[in-house]
Amino acid sequence: MMAVCNLLAFLGLLAALLVVWRQSRPGRLQLFVAQSALLAALAAAIALYSGHRELLVVAAAFAVVKVIVVPRVLRRVVVGAPVRPVAPGRSAGLKLLGAGVLVLVSYVVMLPVTAATSLPTAGAIPLAFAASLLGLFVCVSGRDAFTHILGFLVFENGIFGLALLGAYGLPILVEAGVFLDVLVIVLIMEGVVVQIRREHASIDVDRLRELRG
Amino acid sequence: MRLALLLAVPLMGGLALLLVPGRARRPVHLLASALTLAAALAVAAGVVQAGVLAAADGMLRADALSAWMVVLVAVVAGLAALEATRAAPPEAARWFLPLFHLFVFTMLGAVTTDDVGLMWVAIEGTTLASVFLVNAERSRESLEAAYKYVLICSVGIALAFVGTVMLYFADLSVLGAGEHALRWTMLVDLAGAMPARLVQVAFVFLLVGYGTKAGLAPMHTWLPDAHSEAPAPVSALMSGVLLAVGLYGVLRFKVVVDVAAGPQFASRLLGAVGLASVAVAALFLWRPANFKRMLAYSSIEHLGLVCLGVAFGGPWGTAGAMLHVANHGLAKAALFILAGRIRAAYGTADIAAVRGLRGAMPVTARGFLTAMLALMGLPPFGLFVSEVMIFRAGFEGGHAVVAVLAIGFLVLAFGGLLRALHAMLDGEPPAAVREISAWTAAVPVTIALGLLVLTGIAWPPGLAAALERIASAVGP
Repeated sequence: MMAVCNLLAFLGLLAALLVVWRQSRPGRLQLFVAQSALLAALAAAIALYSGHRELLVVAAAFAVVKVIVVPRVLRRVVVGAPVRPVAPGRSAGLKLLGAGVLVLVSYVVMLPVTAATSLPTAGAIPLAFAASLLGLFVCVSGRDAFTHILGFLVFENGIFGLALLGAYGLPILVEAGVFLDVLVIVLIMEGVVVQIRREHASIDVDRLRELRG
Repeated sequence: MRLALLLAVPLMGGLALLLVPGRARRPVHLLASALTLAAALAVAAGVVQAGVLAAADGMLRADALSAWMVVLVAVVAGLAALEATRAAPPEAARWFLPLFHLFVFTMLGAVTTDDVGLMWVAIEGTTLASVFLVNAERSRESLEAAYKYVLICSVGIALAFVGTVMLYFADLSVLGAGEHALRWTMLVDLAGAMPARLVQVAFVFLLVGYGTKAGLAPMHTWLPDAHSEAPAPVSALMSGVLLAVGLYGVLRFKVVVDVAAGPQFASRLLGAVGLASVAVAALFLWRPANFKRMLAYSSIEHLGLVCLGVAFGGPWGTAGAMLHVANHGLAKAALFILAGRIRAAYGTADIAAVRGLRGAMPVTARGFLTAMLALMGLPPFGLFVSEVMIFRAGFEGGHAVVAVLAIGFLVLAFGGLLRALHAMLDGEPPAAVREISAWTAAVPVTIALGLLVLTGIAWPPGLAAALERIASAVGP
């Protein structure tokens, strides 16, 4: 049980690291899909081992929302966007270094959490939290709308993993509300991005600079 | 029952507005707003009698703090609803009013649920319901504002979710297992046994998360854009009550962390964030260029003051802070409504382009002047009283340095606001600008200012007792 959970959580973190590293939008989207599938598997695994059968429903709902629906919406954002050439001299090295620091930070921040939980999965909590911090990092350092949304979704995935590992998921009503909110956020962002593209012929948020001061 | 009704009315109203034909929209909208207000007053009356109302197996719960917020949301929503019949942008006529009521529904839901997980869902819902309202005018600026709003608030609120999950861990570590583990009442009961470090870490996440929604510095960057680009009734709702709903989230968790880790921890953080907000706002307000942005920054200033009041605590601090939330909501509702009319008449929100308001729109100018003086904290309006209460708490509680600094920033903001007001009111009026002639236009502003005079010089019976009960609910 512990080994499986640790492995899945580690692979989830690895996917988040690769999202930091990859430049291509379709590539990043595939990594997000892979991470979502890993988390759905994690939820199913915990459901089977711990006997919390209702987690299977959560796993299925999560898979439908994050592996099928959300990527489909995001693909619409990617497809219509002109590909921006990667600026020369911009390597992912510095970003990866920052990501490494964030993983360390997450172990420190999570010390009181791991100390307080007695579940067998508690050891993997910092991995999930690190994945969510990496998502946050991608989101706030991104310069275009697609990166913002993707970072946000990886962030959200990490929190889902955190709740799974630390408490075998949240109460089902809350979980349902969170899925609904995430879905609506993605749809809204897509709508806004489509409109931005119509106005500016780009999804680079650098061009949004009408409001200052 | 009353709680279920309170949530059902705006939700049903919103749905009905989607379905009815164009002509029937206005009466349905006004009816739904009036019924929401009536349901809110019924909840408040129930709380006054019974102390606490609960419904749906305890999932819905209203204590004195909830009731205060419910009435504030409903009153400001009522004022904004009156203006919405006049100021709804024609581009968005079909879904503007349905989303307006959905927005009110999410705010009422956030303050009447006992489940902090559902509270999170509802507060996130406030963003989702209002983002299209911010972009209702469909201009480049409003699109940018909407993008920033949904992105920054979603990320912020996700941080609050991390905090909520951590508190859930802390709760489970005491409780073992339980389906009610995310109930706020349960959290408060068990807080004494929770690991203090864990609750502290969780509170930092919650303060940053819900603080983003409350527009506290340094998480305030979405606020001036969203407030200034949204249509007037939406700005009034966002500034008047949405920020307060965000702060309500922080207050609920302050109670938990106070029990788990002592009252010092939350107070220090709130004091720092509050002072930073007042400072950031005052520095901007010294030289504002756009009067809607000016009002938005003033919201940051006043929410900062509310945080300071809660941080000072004591018998005066929390009560003053809660009174200030209501006073600020009323003043901002009036001001954003008037600012929207001025912008519509002059075709711009630049202070430099608005001249001779007194000559061109005498009634609007008088209302704007009065509401601005109220906002600056002059008697006989309520903001004077609540600010005095907050600063009295600061001096009595031994926070004289913070209080003096905050007063300094307030004076700075006062000077800037006065200068902007002078620039707008005086000068040669442009020929094309006309006053709004309908007498109904004066109704929302008069009601707001009238209520502010009540909280300023003639407290209605029961107000003092209500504030005392809220203060005891929020903590030491």
